[in-house]
Amino acid sequence: MNELLKALADHDRQREAPETVELRLRSAFRRKYAHPKWPYFAVAASVVIALLVYSPQKPQTMEIAVVTPPVPVLAVNKTAPRKTVLHSSRPTEVVTEFYSLMEDAPPFEQGELLRVSLPAAAMRGVGLPVDEDRLADMVQADVLVGQEGLARAIRFVNTNVNRP
Amino acid sequence: MQQTDYELLLLMLSGDEEAFTMLYRRRQGPVYRFALQMTGNIVIAEDVTQEVFMALISKTAKYDPARGTLASFLYGIARNMVLRRLEKTAEIEDYAGPEDILDDLTRRETIEGVRRAVLSLPPVYREAIVLCDLQDTSYEDAALVLDCPIGTVRSRLNRGRSMLAQKLAVRV
Repeated sequence: MNELLKALADHDRQREAPETVELRLRSAFRRKYAHPKWPYFAVAASVVIALLVYSPQKPQTMEIAVVTPPVPVLAVNKTAPRKTVLHSSRPTEVVTEFYSLMEDAPPFEQGELLRVSLPAAAMRGVGLPVDEDRLADMVQADVLVGQEGLARAIRFVNTNVNRP
Repeated sequence: MQQTDYELLLLMLSGDEEAFTMLYRRRQGPVYRFALQMTGNIVIAEDVTQEVFMALISKTAKYDPARGTLASFLYGIARNMVLRRLEKTAEIEDYAGPEDILDDLTRRETIEGVRRAVLSLPPVYREAIVLCDLQDTSYEDAALVLDCPIGTVRSRLNRGRSMLAQKLAVRV
């Protein structure tokens, strides 16, 4: 009987939901997230990042978000809608894991992912090694901003992977 | 570096459509097959798959990584939806008698005969067979999905296999 069950499992293994389901879901997803309600998140994220850069040894706490940054706010660009090329065998960017910027964060419900540019020195703030002569180089990072407008986590992005 | 299901879920909840698409493509197959093997109905399987992921999008289903894998969580949502469908729509269950099934087998329709035999099991045994024997889910994950102890999963599995063997007239 095990062989019969295995035959059925093997027979069904390639069966998947039709593509129309994915299209309907992606359409629903776009409707759900079409109008981001937190434009001020970008500013809050910049403040946290600026402090992350200039006070790398200090613990990242909630208080940081309300302190005026000691330097001009870094340019923050919201992640532009990306064309999805999921089947590409050649990745165009590599990301680190997410590093938490908050301790005892409340449960994550919703928020935004912001793509920002910042000095490589910020990577030291989360313990990543950076050569002294590259500290001022600009690097890309994604900041995860929660529903309350505070930056919760950051990951660094290498966008120069496998460029033809 | 491949992102975990949970990382994709966090990105998705931040509005990242690419992350949602990756998560959907990674997990829709098992959800669809579970619903299909539980109901034998492709329309219901399609509906259940859509409803499971809509629950994620609309946040009516909230995943807690401390309570198990995202795959188990999705099976759990799918199971609730399937059981509701089975309660409402009795006619989708095709309780084939042993004679019909043997007839199928002699016509070398082995696969569909086994499928009909599985569908003819009571849901409580069918879901154990579908999860553990057809979907290769571990007993531990199946216990999470079915919300029962591992020992209960084993006993339902044994009973389900025994009933299947009788229906298929195969000695085990």
